[in-house]
This record gives sequence, C-alpha cells and structure tokens, in this order.
Amino acid sequence: MVVNGGIVVAQSPLESIDVGQALTQSQLFAAIVRSSDDAIVGKTVGGVITSWNPAAERMYGYLAEEIIGQLMTVVCPPDRVGEIQEILGKIGRGESVTHFETVRRRKDGNTFPVSVTVSPIRDEHGRLIGASSIARDITEQKKLHAAAELARRADVLEGANRNLDSFTYSISHDLRAPLHALSGFSGILLEDYGDVLSGDGRDYAERIQSASARLAQLIDGLLDLSHLTRAELHPRTADLGAEVTRIAEDLQRAEPDRRVQFTIQRPVPAQADRTLIRTVLENLVGNAWKFTSHRDDALIEFGTTPAEDASLCCYVRDNGAGFDAAHAGRLFIPFQRLHTTSEFPGTGVGLASVRRIVERHGGQVWAEGAVGEGATFYFTLDAKEIA
Amino acid sequence: MSNRTILLVEDNPDDEALMLRALKKNNILNKVTVARDGAQAIEHLFNGPSADLPLPSVILLDLQLPKVHGLEVLRRIRADERTQAIPVVVLTSSRLQEDILKCYRDGANAFVRKPVSFSDFATAMNTFGMFWLHLNEVAAD
Repeated sequence: MVVNGGIVVAQSPLESIDVGQALTQSQLFAAIVRSSDDAIVGKTVGGVITSWNPAAERMYGYLAEEIIGQLMTVVCPPDRVGEIQEILGKIGRGESVTHFETVRRRKDGNTFPVSVTVSPIRDEHGRLIGASSIARDITEQKKLHAAAELARRADVLEGANRNLDSFTYSISHDLRAPLHALSGFSGILLEDYGDVLSGDGRDYAERIQSASARLAQLIDGLLDLSHLTRAELHPRTADLGAEVTRIAEDLQRAEPDRRVQFTIQRPVPAQADRTLIRTVLENLVGNAWKFTSHRDDALIEFGTTPAEDASLCCYVRDNGAGFDAAHAGRLFIPFQRLHTTSEFPGTGVGLASVRRIVERHGGQVWAEGAVGEGATFYFTLDAKEIA
Repeated sequence: MSNRTILLVEDNPDDEALMLRALKKNNILNKVTVARDGAQAIEHLFNGPSADLPLPSVILLDLQLPKVHGLEVLRRIRADERTQAIPVVVLTSSRLQEDILKCYRDGANAFVRKPVSFSDFATAMNTFGMFWLHLNEVAAD
C-alpha cells in the first residue's frame, strides 16, 4: 500500500517499522491521515467536526482551525442538509455508509461531486464516540464517466441511423415494387379491356390506379422526411423574403387564374441551409396558397415578428380555410391531416418536414388559426444552434 | 436498327410482364432476352451458349437482384473487354443518392427510377426506345 506523500506501509506495519525508534503507532496513523489525498474528517455522533486533515483543507477550502467545532452541515449544500441527518442517524445505530455519491460545498460556495464513506468510531469498550468520514473528490471521475456515456450514446445513435438507412432502403424498393404491378395491370385492364369492362369495372380499375399513385406519393414523402433528418446542413446567409417572392411567382405562374394578394417583407436575412429553408417556405407558402383556393380575396403575408430568445421569428399568414385550434398539435405529425384529400389535396408530410428542418436549425414551429378564419404559421431560427 | 437486341435483367415477373408489354406497345420490336437474376445475366453475357450470338445493344438492369447484385453485374460488364462498351440503363425502384452515385461511378450510362404511374411508365419506355435503340450510336463490335 502506497500512501501519497511517500510513506510506505507494509502489510503489517509494526513488523517492519521500529516503533520505538521512529514513530508510535498513533503517530504513524496520524501521518497517514495527514498525507492522504482523501479528505478525512472526524466528527461527533452529533455531527460536530473534531479533526480535519490537510486534504480536507484543500478540498473544502476551510482551514482546520476555522472549521473544527462547527457542524458538518457547513460543507453541505442547503438542499442536502437532510442527508447529513440521515447519515448521522445510521452512525447512531452503529451502521456505516460506504461510497455514497453526493455533492459538497466549498468555502467559496462552489459545489463538487464526492464519494463519501462514513463509519462509526468506538472506544475500547465498544461505546460509540463519533464518526470518521472519508470523502473523495470525483469531479474527474464524473467527467470521464460522462464522456464515456456520451460516446456510448453516439454509438447507439449511429446504430439507429444505420437501421434507419436500411429501413429507408427497403421502403424505397420493397414497398414500391408491388405498386408497379397494381398500377401497371390496372392500367392494362383499362387500356386493353376497357371496351369489355362495364362502367363500374372501369371505375374500379381507375380507383386501383389512383390508390397506388397515392401510396407511391406517401412512400416518397416518408423517404423525403428521412432524408431531411440525415442530410448535412450547409448554413449560409439567405434572404427569406426573396425566396418567398420566388415561390409566390412560381405558384402564380402554375395557376395564372388565381388572384392572390401577397405581402412580403424584404429583405429578411437569415443564417440557414438554403435548400432546406426553401423547403420550409415552399411548404408554408404552398399551404397558404392551397388553403385559400376557395377565396376570391385571398391574402398571403410573409414577415418577421419580434422574438424573445430566438435570433429570428418569421410567420406566414393567410385568410384561408384555417383549422380547429384544438387539433393544432396534430398539424406537424407525419401523415396527420386536418382536411380530407378531396377538400384539399396533400400527403400530410409537408408540415412534418417543416418541423424537422426548423428544429435542425435550432428553432421551433407553431401555428395559430381558427376554422374559416385563416392560419398563421410561425417559425424561429437560431443560427448558433444548427445541429 | 431492329437487329439491336435488349438484355432485360429483372427478377420480378410482374415488372417483366409490364416491361415487355410496354416495349411492344411502343413498337419496340427488338429481340428481348430476359435474365431473372444477376447470375443468369452474367451467364448469358460471358459463358452463354450464344458466344457466337451478338451481344445486346443495351442492357436494362435492375439493382436489387437475387444471387448477384445489380451493381456487381454492372462491374463485371465494365471489367470485360467484350462488354465494356455496352450501354447499361439502370432501372430500379430506388432513388437513393448513394445508389445513383454508385451506379454512375461504376459505369452506368443512365439511372431511371421506374415510375409507378401506368402512363408515366409507358412514356418512360417510349423515351427509352427512342433514345437507346434509335438515337444513340453504339460502339461497333
């Protein structure tokens, strides 16, 4: 056994050290305690400190002369004082506390993690006369442990990502393949046997066609969503107002007969991945366009609003169909739709994609609205927290 | 140009039937040989009883094939002097960037995702025939 400080103690110290010449046994033990790296503290059954070694001085920041006579609770954070009472209770019953991990407080008020062993001390008649407490600062140990835990989690995450990759792969191939047959052979029925099928027969074949087309869309939506989760982010400065203007022009060009008044704030500079943030805006503005389709006086507005803790808070507002605020939470869940496909077409992946992208940019997304009174979608971006 | 032949490597009998019909409907009357897994494709190209038969002018290759994966078939085609210049069109359900990248890196000439929609599929096969069997020049044997 080597004790820090250079004193070597053999298995049976009394055999190898000439006690008469050098140290008495109690002097020897005192030397061991003095040179220990662990804080060794003696206290009464009531918790009054009676001895305090140099390691305790270093660890807690109190000198022996200023703390002896005080209660052990001095080095305990206020919320853990109950612990000391519990430990003293055990000591009172003659029990020990071993390797108890807790937190202690230095003289300067800082706290640190410790592992504590407290044992009862008895006199030669077996009477309980106090307790010894040995505490070890486990800050470094905790750090190492946390680093190991982090590495383990990274491993688990990597495994999960690999699973997701192979899942994505089998979805893209295995689930799509049967769709070719559904769509293809129902198409052949219509094309080659349309004249011998009744009206109902043709209708059923057409239903198979559109159902398989829809399933193909849903599978692609799922693939896109998984891509958004894994795609690498390349943040740079983009003018969101300019992006929205381009999207509005595209929408107008695709449906020249629609009359929609756009109000777009410009410029709105933001740090974001250009491609992904464009997907966010395409979804939000595209939704506004879609859900105002039944109005002649459609209004769509893009702008920013002051935000407390985010560097940028944007919104897209429309005066369209809106939604029931009670179901607002479902809006961002994949494949959840608040409207039927015949009312408004869609796969239910758009807003789920929006949420995933915004969260990867360290932001949040939420919506306000009421049925028949339009909707406003907000999202925040915090360039510093891009993941 | 009708002496040009097609090798279709496709393990799914439904897809095979759809493909053959689409070719016929588009008046692509070239001879089509079907290999139903990767091993058959290699057998046909390299050790077939048809060593004296002309090699295909274009190969339509699925990726997810039993026995020998489509990418491996592609590598074998590109590694052999006799087959290295044959155009290979990868026709698959996948559109994973990794797959697309690997195919082009290993020498595919085109990567086409099988359209689910019946009419899109017919259009795709028409385009395929127009380009690979008419417009495109192949290297002489």
